[in-house]
Amino acid sequence: MGIAVLLKQVPDTTAKIGISGGRVDESSITKWSISPYDEYALENAVKLKESGYGDVVAITCGPARAAKCLTEAAAVGADRLIHILTESSLDSIQVQSLLSAAVKEAECDVVMCGKQAADTNSGSTGPGLASSLGFSCVGGVTGVSMDGGVASATRLGPSGLEEVEVGVPCVFTFDKGDSELRRPNVRGIMMAKKKPIDSLTPDDLGVDESNSRVSITSHSSPPEKQPGQKFVGSESVPEVVNKLREEANVI
Amino acid sequence: MAYEALDFYDIDSLLTEEERMVRDMVRDWVEERILPNIEDACRDGVFPDEWRAEIGEMGILGAPLKGYGCPGLSYIAYGLICQELERGDSGVRSFASVQGSLAMYPIWDFGSEEQKEKYLPGMAKGDLVGCFGLTEPDYGSNPGDMITRAEDKGDHFLLNGAKMWITNGTIADLAVVWAKLEGEIRGFIVEKGDEGFSAPEMKGKHSLKASVTSELVFQDCKIPKDRMLPDVKGLKGPFSCLNNARYGISWGAVGAAQSCFNSAREYALSRIQFGHPIASFQLVQNKLSWMLREITKGQLLAYHIGKKKDDGSWIPEQISLAKMNNVDMALEIARMSRDIHGANGILDEYPVMRHMANLESVKTYEGTHDIHNLILGRHITGIQSFTREP
Repeated sequence: MGIAVLLKQVPDTTAKIGISGGRVDESSITKWSISPYDEYALENAVKLKESGYGDVVAITCGPARAAKCLTEAAAVGADRLIHILTESSLDSIQVQSLLSAAVKEAECDVVMCGKQAADTNSGSTGPGLASSLGFSCVGGVTGVSMDGGVASATRLGPSGLEEVEVGVPCVFTFDKGDSELRRPNVRGIMMAKKKPIDSLTPDDLGVDESNSRVSITSHSSPPEKQPGQKFVGSESVPEVVNKLREEANVI
Repeated sequence: MAYEALDFYDIDSLLTEEERMVRDMVRDWVEERILPNIEDACRDGVFPDEWRAEIGEMGILGAPLKGYGCPGLSYIAYGLICQELERGDSGVRSFASVQGSLAMYPIWDFGSEEQKEKYLPGMAKGDLVGCFGLTEPDYGSNPGDMITRAEDKGDHFLLNGAKMWITNGTIADLAVVWAKLEGEIRGFIVEKGDEGFSAPEMKGKHSLKASVTSELVFQDCKIPKDRMLPDVKGLKGPFSCLNNARYGISWGAVGAAQSCFNSAREYALSRIQFGHPIASFQLVQNKLSWMLREITKGQLLAYHIGKKKDDGSWIPEQISLAKMNNVDMALEIARMSRDIHGANGILDEYPVMRHMANLESVKTYEGTHDIHNLILGRHITGIQSFTREP
């Protein structure tokens, strides 16, 4: 069985986001990247593959530009690439339906993804997918190893590291751990370029993308941060105390 | 904020996906590994060994060479690699240029099958470092009169002489050395540890401080007979190498200029004088638009000569023009950027003064600015003006 890794292409965390007409203006975004938590999922998927557990199938859902993250995944070791091609803005349930159909199609019994995406931060894909596939789900893990049909996952618990054992099939959602992300190299890039991408439409997967129950009404920029105030010298203490009490309400 | 490389004429759209991926890989590496550490490396005057290892792991050394474990990328990709490395620091680009164009290339083009198999795979991985010995203390622009000699002693060659200004010299495992054998220039591979060979580091540089520069000294240096490059004689050998390195520099200079432009733009937008950002003043805008104009022209030169390298239709004079022009504009942009930064421009908080000092070397090495003018002068008039002799 294979390891599916779900990759979402998001605006790079350092990119400037422009808003125009109450909507994020995608043309203003100069750099798109794999969502950072998904990168940890990818790294761990490749590690699990190297330990001898099946091939890595990288799956993304999004417009044509999202294919780039599949090629990037191939450059660091993904074996098969699936692109669910859609230009629509989908709700969480639709995304989960599409991804679970692709996971079934790819015959994977281990699914890895980030614990949340850097753009929407909803955190629903992993658990939702597990629910629709009938897989177990362990969230917020930082590493997974496999012994027979039993996976052992590490995650940060409230009082230290927690080791969780779970049978497959299972979905793991990844937190930023201490695994170092591998860099691509020229050899990987040249092989990735030759790797075909299986392009599927929602129709191919039997999902109706017109039937969204959620619609985003508008986007807006966060309020601009007020500049800080600077106080120098002991004579400013009464003023600071007064401000902390009256304006900030913290004392 | 994410680095947005100046690309006013959308050169990006002319690149293949592979070229873009290689560029982004190197760009990310520079961002993560060079930029946070370069000032320390310069202050300590070292080229950190982990940079060698990581450049090797990326698989970018000897980029356009094919076979023997070399990457086999396009010349455009090689140019982009140089651009990104030099956006970090000219010293880092120099390491890669010397390894790929000056040490690997002559072995790849002029070496015997055994030499290629012995050295190239390890050099492509960065496990073996190479350097290139052409310039001598008394012979820089005029290498044809070099003093270094090789003598055929029957079962070995004996080398005597000295080379100077040799990038990577002290850290190199092997040196491609040009020396006269019976009056004719030939290439020899000298290995670290060969009897009579030493490579002391040159100290006290105000430029390329994160790059190792050395002398190579040969005192009755004995090397086996199979270390001569069999397939080249005369200045054609070293000049073929220099053409490739100079081509890479034409891209590298664009990277240094982009870095200086970016820093100047950001600084001008945030620096307030007379109640307004200095970017709102006409004199500053004039400087920024001049930078944009020159970088854009430099990018088009580099891209076009890259395409010609890829299809084989180039002539060396075209490379001279690209190297000379792009380094010249980059140096002017570094100076202008320092000017826009005011006093802050001299601090190592900003990259501009470092680039400026580096580019003084880049203007001089691999054919000085003036020598490239003479190469073009000869091309235009048919009259060589390097020497007084007919």
